[in-house]
Amino acid sequence: MSAEEPLTYEAAAARVEEIIRRLDSGEASLSETLDLVREGKVLIEQCARELSAVGDALEELRLDELVSRLEAEASA
Amino acid sequence: MLGFVSTSPPPATPEGAGVPGPGPGPGEQGGIPDSGLPGPFPVGEYARALRTKLRSLARVQLVGELVNLRPSRARVYFELRDAAGAIPCAAWLGDWEAILARCGTRSPEGMQVVVAGGCDYYPGSATSSPGFSFAVSDLRVAGEGDLLARIERLRKQLDAEGLLERQKLLERLLLPRTIGIITAEGGKAGDDIRAALARRGWAGRLVWGFAPVQDRHAAPAIVRALSDLAGVARVQVVIVARGGGSLTDLMCFCDETLCRTVALLGVPVIASVGHHTDRTLLDDVAAVSCSTPTHAAEAAVGVDCTRARAEQLAAAARLRELGRRAVLSRARGLALLSRAPAAQLERQRARLHQELREIRAAGRRRRDSERRLTAQRALVLRRKADSSILDCRRRRPRDLEQLALALSAHDPQRTLERGYVLVESPQGEPLLSAARAREADEVGLRFAQDTVPAKIIHR
Repeated sequence: MSAEEPLTYEAAAARVEEIIRRLDSGEASLSETLDLVREGKVLIEQCARELSAVGDALEELRLDELVSRLEAEASA
Repeated sequence: MLGFVSTSPPPATPEGAGVPGPGPGPGEQGGIPDSGLPGPFPVGEYARALRTKLRSLARVQLVGELVNLRPSRARVYFELRDAAGAIPCAAWLGDWEAILARCGTRSPEGMQVVVAGGCDYYPGSATSSPGFSFAVSDLRVAGEGDLLARIERLRKQLDAEGLLERQKLLERLLLPRTIGIITAEGGKAGDDIRAALARRGWAGRLVWGFAPVQDRHAAPAIVRALSDLAGVARVQVVIVARGGGSLTDLMCFCDETLCRTVALLGVPVIASVGHHTDRTLLDDVAAVSCSTPTHAAEAAVGVDCTRARAEQLAAAARLRELGRRAVLSRARGLALLSRAPAAQLERQRARLHQELREIRAAGRRRRDSERRLTAQRALVLRRKADSSILDCRRRRPRDLEQLALALSAHDPQRTLERGYVLVESPQGEPLLSAARAREADEVGLRFAQDTVPAKIIHR
């Protein structure tokens, strides 16, 4: 995975847990704390987006209809 | 062999076909004109006659492969097959369990077996269907059937090619947005998956690839659906689901092409085929094998989305709190440091004030002590003075008198008064020796009453 690609949900959630453990330890300096909080907020927003993407409304498609539609679009 | 189904000329009566008579007269119901065949006979009567006829056939042993095993509440049904044909078989459940216990096998499905029994026929009724079966009273396992042997050979081959592991090495997303499902349209498995996903709070995109899941058309249709789901619908995980069934029913999931397609697919496949006791080759090649469609749905979405949303909110709040606390604690530390000189000054000032108060108090105590001491001394002095004055007043006159007496005792006048004379120089100085009197030519002789001049005569 390249650095530009966003983390997967599980990787982001695991990193948030790691950040909170580090902050809970009380060993982080102020500068590190602020960096970690900033990073954690970004990751939580990403997780929230992922959860939102599978939480708004169930979309059900039929594969045969999808294939027919794509074939029709391709031929047109 | 059976007269009533033979192509030989038909019997004229049910008895001629082995069917007991008399039944309703042919004339009462009206047969097919010019048919030439006996009857019509009431069907139930004919069915019972058929059962009697079949039961009268010799009891035998049959050998074949046991497939399509289907237990019901009271009986167990299966088929005995070989390359040339098949016979439906049935056994009472109690007999079947005793047979299995005796054979020491859990299920002989797919195995080569020898069964003992005879033909039977259930005549049915107005509400139930009739059925022919070979009534099995005993069974012996004769060896592995072709079906199981074929499946096992294919499993080993796939394993040798490393195809049983490929799916398991694929990365599976914990929270996929698009899930493909291959199952029978209208089947209960689909409902179970939908319900399980709803319980997880997952509401992404479901792409249903409906396909037959039981007959010879099933495997090619499932292969096609898998390819379309992965290529066209771009799903992130596929669930292949089917309810329970006999080994024969599930044979399509042991299809070699299907198994190879799944193994080489770039999308993880979760298999949920049959009951937990069933094991197909698809279960072996799939990324995950689940016992029920519900478990398959839970495996596809590894996150309880409802709980995860709550946890994300809690994590966000925790992060905010930790960040705030980190800044605040350091700000408090800085404030404490900035207040340190003033605090030190205040402490010193307080100490000096305290010492000053103690000094003042000590001074007051000393002053009071001295004052008390002075008062005591003054009192003593006053008392002593008073005592002295009193003494003086009482004793001094007496002492004076005594002194006066002592003094008067030493007064030369008194001596003079007793007749003594004091020789004095003309200047009035007493001449205390004869020598000094001779030196003086003139002297005075002082008597008590008066002084008489006199001349010294030298001889």
